[in-house]
Amino acid sequence: MKILIPLKQVPDSTVRVSVAPDGKSIKTEGITWSISPYDEYAIEMALERKDDDPSTVVSVVTVGPARSRDALRQALAMGCDDASIVIADEAIPPVAIARALAKVIEDAKPDLVLCGKQASDDDQGFIGPALAEVLGWPHVATITKAVPADGSVELWREVEGGHEVWTARLPALATVHKSEKEPRYPSLPGIMKAKKKEIPERPFTALGVDSSGPMLEVLSMEPPPARGAGKILKDGDPRHLADQLATALRDEAKVL
Amino acid sequence: MTAPTGAFFPGGAILLALTILGFGAFFWRAWRLYRFLRLGRPEARLDHPWLRLRDELVIYLGQRKLLKRPYYARGLAHAFIFWGFLVITIGTVDLLANGIAGFHLPGAGSAVFAWTIDIFAVLVLGSIAIALIRRIFFAPPRMHVALDGYVILGLIAILMITLLVFEGAGLAAGNLEKGYTPPPLAGLFLRSSVFPGESSAVVFYWAWWLHLVTVLAFAAYLPQSKHLHIVTTLPNVFFRKQTPRGALGLIDDIENKETFGAATIRDFSWKQLLDGYTCTECGRCSDNCPALATGKPLDPQKIVLDVRDQLLAEGRALLKDPKAATKPPAHWVESKPEELWACTTCAACVEACPVTIEHIDKIVDMRRHLTLMEGAAPPEAQRAMTNIERSGNPWGEPRDTRGDWAKELGVPTFAENPDAEYLYFVGCAASVDRRNQRVARALVAILRAANVSFAILGTEETCNGDPARRIGNEYLWQLQAQQNIATFSKYGVKKVIASCPHCFNTIANEYPQLGGSYEVLHALQLVDRLLGERKLRIGSDGQEIVAYHDPCYLGRHNRIYDQPRAVLDALPGIQRAEIAPHHRERGFCCGAGGGRMWMEEKVGERVNHRRIDQLLAAKTGATKVASGCPFCLIMLEEGVGAKGVQEQVRPVDVLELVAGRLQN
Repeated sequence: MKILIPLKQVPDSTVRVSVAPDGKSIKTEGITWSISPYDEYAIEMALERKDDDPSTVVSVVTVGPARSRDALRQALAMGCDDASIVIADEAIPPVAIARALAKVIEDAKPDLVLCGKQASDDDQGFIGPALAEVLGWPHVATITKAVPADGSVELWREVEGGHEVWTARLPALATVHKSEKEPRYPSLPGIMKAKKKEIPERPFTALGVDSSGPMLEVLSMEPPPARGAGKILKDGDPRHLADQLATALRDEAKVL
Repeated sequence: MTAPTGAFFPGGAILLALTILGFGAFFWRAWRLYRFLRLGRPEARLDHPWLRLRDELVIYLGQRKLLKRPYYARGLAHAFIFWGFLVITIGTVDLLANGIAGFHLPGAGSAVFAWTIDIFAVLVLGSIAIALIRRIFFAPPRMHVALDGYVILGLIAILMITLLVFEGAGLAAGNLEKGYTPPPLAGLFLRSSVFPGESSAVVFYWAWWLHLVTVLAFAAYLPQSKHLHIVTTLPNVFFRKQTPRGALGLIDDIENKETFGAATIRDFSWKQLLDGYTCTECGRCSDNCPALATGKPLDPQKIVLDVRDQLLAEGRALLKDPKAATKPPAHWVESKPEELWACTTCAACVEACPVTIEHIDKIVDMRRHLTLMEGAAPPEAQRAMTNIERSGNPWGEPRDTRGDWAKELGVPTFAENPDAEYLYFVGCAASVDRRNQRVARALVAILRAANVSFAILGTEETCNGDPARRIGNEYLWQLQAQQNIATFSKYGVKKVIASCPHCFNTIANEYPQLGGSYEVLHALQLVDRLLGERKLRIGSDGQEIVAYHDPCYLGRHNRIYDQPRAVLDALPGIQRAEIAPHHRERGFCCGAGGGRMWMEEKVGERVNHRRIDQLLAAKTGATKVASGCPFCLIMLEEGVGAKGVQEQVRPVDVLELVAGRLQN
């Protein structure tokens, strides 16, 4: 089975984000970038299939600036078989990114495409379903497990109080909510092999896909208001303190 | 002591044949063990030759590591058996020389010689009795009581009894030269005529033969017994690690290697294999292991013995075919890695071992295999490593917040004050953990009071790599270390202060492996010095009793026991207490070392809770428990909270006690 994961490189969750001088974007100098967490789950899910059946081939691809190559190396270090990048330095309409990915997928011919359910930077959750639409493939959202069967795949979703299990004929696309295990830590031989692997690149313009489409425009960005100091109630006996707390929650916090 | 000559000499040929047989069996088996050792990977152990010779005198001949609390009585009994073995062996050589070829060693006929051997024979016999009684009636729970032990004790007892009997009977029968005062115990036989008349000659004859045959049987039996340690301790002490105990071995040229760590017998170094031959199965390592004591699956003695047993089981096949398939070292790597992950690298086992076995290095080598080859560290440990990679600290706090604690204090960074004398390497804990930020502020107050010129690195500092290295991720440790060393070089740093023993240990003892050599001080060493130089004026803050908890990476790993205590003793009003008997060399781990800080502790009792129990059981009356390590502080705080004694005894860092009493 061939599984392909389109991934996105995003600012690492440990980065303290700050607004750039233009007031419309974040500062990116010197920050740590990593694979978007849900994409990492998608990779782990694919690699778990590969653990069960070593003939599985897992590929990763990204559309983004040249720095995204590091995210692909990380995926290779985790155990993915190959990676490729479509270089796009300028912001591109999301639907055009979906078209570019569709083009890559037409060439690579995977049986299953797994996308993270959303990227952790803009949380749009657009690419997965849009890509399925462009490809004309069946799509199941926010899965937690994929079990290949003959010519099809069972896709598990967590729902209130249990699971839904869908069956999709292949090829199919699913967006991933979580893998069974936490994304794996790369082995050192994996890291070394990943360093030496070729990552073929193509400029976005060379794909010949329609680059038009609606774009969101950020008008302004500001940090969330600083949290005020907390209030500690400590004078008085427990009954009195409880009264004070209830009053404060009702009158000041207005949550009761 | 003399042996039969003339009349007995025809027996010489038989004795010669038996001697060749006995020692032949010994050397044949010993040679095979030696070839098995050569299966291990190479490791250089010839640095510091004079220290090695000193250790032979102190540890091998002087039995220093046996004579330790709480093992004084048993240690002394062992020392007598050992010293007796050395002295009596000279007599044995004389007996064999005389029995086979009819000549004596020079001085062998003297009264001093006879008396010495006689006295040691009695001491050994007494010690054997103690050892037997202990084994039968008071075997410590961790002691590996097996038939082998009884065989050895029995053989030694036979040797001593036959020695005394043939000496006494020989004197009575006139077979031995007279002219000196008969040795005390042998003299008894002479005087009381235990074997009257003719019988004494017969008793002498058979006791003499029984003695020598036992000697030869002993030699033949030795290589397959744990008693082989009388031989292997000699090289094991000689080749012990002379680099600082706290330094793990470097994986050189890591980017170009293909396998890492220990997954099969061939991956252990010859010295690690020699450890197995040397283990006496005494169980002192296990006795002192905090993981084992709190119900974890780890047993340090078992690790050493499992490696040995596997070597003995697979050695022959591997000698025939060096590429023969081997099982992973015993079973931990594959099926029971939790034994390996339970280790806090506290070095209680290493400290306790009388024959200088190095347990931690083996455990970390196997962790290296798990982490680097299999990517199989526990998930929480993986998270800590990912955090170090991405944000420079295992907590995963944003990288650019690292220097925030110091901003309101106006502490300069090296970028701001490149002429500073000392680098204060703050470490992750004091940088991002709020409780430990207070310790960093205390140190800043002290350094300022003493006019010490210092600066920090702020956001240019990154985790020293210690947790990664001890989790087995040598690669990440090297990346972190190289990054810090490059920053130190950029500012020409020569002197480093660390308030964290883990930073201190890895910068002082491990960075030199990558070319970074600095004068490194733990903050409490510096404070001790500043107090000595009268650069700090300290006032009293009322009377209180403070118990001192030894951090493993200050104490056992770096033998810094006295300076933190001297600092406490220099504070007026503070009466220092010890968490006896678990203090100094026998200090009990807080549970956070070896990367355990970042792993969950789901099995058994929590190590830090046991530590609080020990503190309470010591009934010191202490209202504070002071340490010199941010991780100890976190663990002790969690411990007093969980035990509900936070009002009774409050964990602090010694630095906070000093800073609270500053008057300048």
